[in-house]
Amino acid sequence: MRMSDKVQISIARELYEKAKRFVEEQGGFSSVEELVEFLLREVLSEEESSYTMSKEDEEKVKERLRALGYI
Amino acid sequence: MGLDSLPPKVLYQGFDGGGFSFLKNIVEESARYVLRSCHPPITIPAWLVMFSGVSPGELGIYGFRHRKPGFFDYYIVNSSYVKVPTLWEEASRRGLRIGLYGVPPTYPPKPVNGVLVTDFTTPGPDKPYTFPPWLRRELERISGFTIFDIVYRSEDKERVARDLFRMLENHLVQVEYLAKRRRWDLFIYVEIAVDRAHHAFWRYFDKEHPRYEYHPVYSNVIPEVYRRLDRWFERLFKEVLKNSIVVVASDHGVKAMKGAFTINQWLAEQGYLKLRAEKDKVKPGTELREDMVDWSSTIAWGWGGYYSRIFINLKGREKHGVVEPKYYEDTVEQLRRDIMKIRGPCGEQWRNAVYRPDELYPVVRGDAPDLMVYLDDLSWRPAGTIGWPSNYLSENDRGPDDAVHDWYGVFAVYDPEGTVEKGDRGLIEISYVRKLLEELLYG
Repeated sequence: MRMSDKVQISIARELYEKAKRFVEEQGGFSSVEELVEFLLREVLSEEESSYTMSKEDEEKVKERLRALGYI
Repeated sequence: MGLDSLPPKVLYQGFDGGGFSFLKNIVEESARYVLRSCHPPITIPAWLVMFSGVSPGELGIYGFRHRKPGFFDYYIVNSSYVKVPTLWEEASRRGLRIGLYGVPPTYPPKPVNGVLVTDFTTPGPDKPYTFPPWLRRELERISGFTIFDIVYRSEDKERVARDLFRMLENHLVQVEYLAKRRRWDLFIYVEIAVDRAHHAFWRYFDKEHPRYEYHPVYSNVIPEVYRRLDRWFERLFKEVLKNSIVVVASDHGVKAMKGAFTINQWLAEQGYLKLRAEKDKVKPGTELREDMVDWSSTIAWGWGGYYSRIFINLKGREKHGVVEPKYYEDTVEQLRRDIMKIRGPCGEQWRNAVYRPDELYPVVRGDAPDLMVYLDDLSWRPAGTIGWPSNYLSENDRGPDDAVHDWYGVFAVYDPEGTVEKGDRGLIEISYVRKLLEELLYG
């Protein structure tokens, strides 16, 4: 991704410090920026919500279960 | 630790090809129950019955797929269909820390007081399959993409074995990581690779299988799966589980598949199902579609699987229903009698069983079939496809499969403090397991 595709945002320093600690302890992210991008993508996902299954996903699962011989 | 489809003879009677060693010692020191699975003895709903403590009827879940009355097409159940609080939800509510890995069906993931990784019904690793959502990044960093399942109905057994071991290793790395890195009071791990190994390689393993064949590589796949689990468990036990109560359980057992029986072809021959096309014009293995059926002359149709579900074309309920409600009871009973009479390919007597859901469950919720059918005590798999030259197929209509499910699984409890009396403890109903686990958790 080019730098011009990125924008800067401001968040509370206290929150930033917390996020930085989280990144260091949790290990799944290499930077606060990566963590923020991941969380925003999750929240703004086009699917209805993380906790429901879309029609498209249901079709994928049907296909898999058919290939597996369950249905 | 849930080992999907592990039968008692493997864990308790040493029929493991030398695969289990450490686990065998643990089980020796455990309270050992033979677990009786639910109706139907299938992964979904069986694990859910175990962890909810209620029957499939109360859950309204009778398999992976269901059909809304009046519709021919089906939908797939997922975690959002589970309306009864599970063991881990109640434990979360009480403040216990939870680790949950691979328990079907937990996709899409619901919040828990701890961590959750969904099961083999997950559409793919690009989906949000963990709770908390960022956990998946952590797991992918240590083990690459999460492997939810493999395609095991294939003639390419070497590929199947390769995929199987890759998936197992992927899971073992992730579970070990979570078990060591997270604080937990209750950790439930279900390994689906055991079931996949059984289905793909059982005839190379079980000498009593009607098509048993020794193969220098394939005959060792199932014992190798057991061995890898055993070594992994031994290491984990010595490092983090020494002071934990360990439960080893399965959702159902497994046994040799004798063949498949084409239930819809049989219904057509008996005059229950009227097809538009002539029998010899349909390609073998054709899926029954709505437009293939002459609904004005159809009384019933069925689904295949490890058991068969039969639906009556009931007037007022189905789109093109013809069976008058006043004849519903007689129709169901006649069909039951006819199914009970189905015999084997050489005319041998089968141990068929046909149930109406209200005979099995205290409550029948959701979209239950009219009849639930087991052919020859599960040894013959009902096939829903049509166009076959015979009603008896030597193979599964969905591709190679060596095994069918069996009623009996395992449930063994090991307590290092010796509060659980070890030895053979007889039968336990799968729906009773939750109560027992809660006694262990809460005293």
